[in-house]
Amino acid sequence: MSFELNGVQVEDTFAEGFSMWGSRLIITAATQKWANIAATSMTGFATSVIACDCEAAIEREITLDESPDGRPGTMVMIYGFSRGKLSRAMLSRLGQCVLTCPTTAVYNGLPDNEADAMLDIGKSIRFFGDKYQVKMRMGDGWQSRKRFWRIPVMEGEFLIEEKIGAKKAVAGGNFLVMGETEEATLIASEAAIDAIHKVPGVVTPFPGGLCRSGSKVGSQYPFLRASTNTPFCPAIKHSFKESKVPEGVNSVLEVVINGLDQASVMKAMGVGVDAATRVEGVKWITAVNFDGKLGKFQMSLKESVEGV
Amino acid sequence: MKKLVLTPRGFSSIPIEADVISPDNFAGKTLQEVRELEVYYGNTVYPMKEYIHAQGQVSETPAEQIIVIDGDARHIKHIGEKMTAGRIVIQGDAGMHTGAQMEGGDITVTGNVGDWCGAEMKGGLIRVLGDAGNLVGAAYRGSPEGMTGGCILINGNAGTEVGSFMRRGMIVITGDTGSFTGVHMNGGEIMVFGKAGIRVGAQAKGNGGFIACFGGVEEMLPTYRYDTTFNPTFMRLYLKQLSENLGIDTTPYIDKPMKRYRGDLAVGGNSEILVKT
Repeated sequence: MSFELNGVQVEDTFAEGFSMWGSRLIITAATQKWANIAATSMTGFATSVIACDCEAAIEREITLDESPDGRPGTMVMIYGFSRGKLSRAMLSRLGQCVLTCPTTAVYNGLPDNEADAMLDIGKSIRFFGDKYQVKMRMGDGWQSRKRFWRIPVMEGEFLIEEKIGAKKAVAGGNFLVMGETEEATLIASEAAIDAIHKVPGVVTPFPGGLCRSGSKVGSQYPFLRASTNTPFCPAIKHSFKESKVPEGVNSVLEVVINGLDQASVMKAMGVGVDAATRVEGVKWITAVNFDGKLGKFQMSLKESVEGV
Repeated sequence: MKKLVLTPRGFSSIPIEADVISPDNFAGKTLQEVRELEVYYGNTVYPMKEYIHAQGQVSETPAEQIIVIDGDARHIKHIGEKMTAGRIVIQGDAGMHTGAQMEGGDITVTGNVGDWCGAEMKGGLIRVLGDAGNLVGAAYRGSPEGMTGGCILINGNAGTEVGSFMRRGMIVITGDTGSFTGVHMNGGEIMVFGKAGIRVGAQAKGNGGFIACFGGVEEMLPTYRYDTTFNPTFMRLYLKQLSENLGIDTTPYIDKPMKRYRGDLAVGGNSEILVKT
């Protein structure tokens, strides 16, 4: 079963998402350059929990009006399988990649009223101050109460909010862009990523938002728990019996989306698919699922597109 | 919001103690009951109507009540004492203890205010468009803690012992302060945009508290140690808060280097005084 969108066949299937804990951080710095360096460094090696401690990516740059301290900043999201794993990943990454980065400060991007839990991230990082850290209080008794820690560092002072919001989020939103050529597939996938980045509350943790390998659970090797997504590898479409690569398709890229809620992920899938199908040379769009065995979220491509 | 207008029946050199003037005491009463509330005139108890005329509407809850005091209230003490919600606007001067021990709501004084304004305040917002007397947000004699929350903005000068024994909350003085600003302070923030008087931060202990002096200090105590000159990122948050919530033009102070002093070493303190260079 499929339906047509912008002249391209889209399989009427669903992306299978699963539950993760997600957080949003705002990193500010003296210049946008340094905010981006810190954000890029912090979200490095965080494509998939298959082998990384978390999944993380830059959401977007913020405007000066949105910035808690009025300096340039960048919003990042980080996802972990549990609150504990998310906390540990945030602590190590903030400690190694942001605290160390010149001029940075870190603020919570997920307010108390939107979060399911408030994690003691700044409260833990404060110990780096070796008893010279200073607790900073704001808003007591007249505005929303906030706590920060000021940690002395060689360059000056590192400022971090005491608590960072976290919530049960959705990971594994995806769709596959299948094109006639590598070039067309890449251009279409890039268009999809550009469209997705305009949707608030989602990130695409893979390099440039794209995963070229795909992956499936398990392998023919007993020691390997994930391997190449053989049904969608065009190079072996006539060698692999259960290949799902349609005729005329010679390249496939996967767009993987994590978001703070299912609606945001589905919206991102919808705008992404819409953008990809507008590029000439794209033959087919589908999504990866495991027949409902992996996760509890079944995000239909058709509903996603209709929601745009 | 329901508005009740109180008009003092002339100035008196004998003070009136009117801690009944608060939305908490008015809410749920009839106008007649409000007029009969007791005040002290010197050492004698009178119904409020003898010295202050009340007219307008009384709300069911304190949060919905606005009290406007229209006239000279220099001699009226304890206005808004212990109030938890609602609003008081004093169109003129206000007496001592205005907003003392207040827990919520807001008070605006368009003129000057007497001593002990916001003493031991716990929450809410006090704005004074003129000058303030001594002991703004301070602890009453013998109390271990002064202000523990809320914000006091004095759009003018303030007297001595601003924020004495302060524990939390914020005091902002756009003008100068007298001596002993932040004396015995143990937390909270005091921002002085004019010049801070002598003995600023005397016996302050720390606990995250600081005094920011954007207009310099008259004299720094020798028991404060100079650490560094830097551009504190955290100050941007406070300046943004002052600009967005209190309408203070903080642009000239953003990213300006500040000298950091730590003390008061006389009491083993770890409090900060930040002085704009």
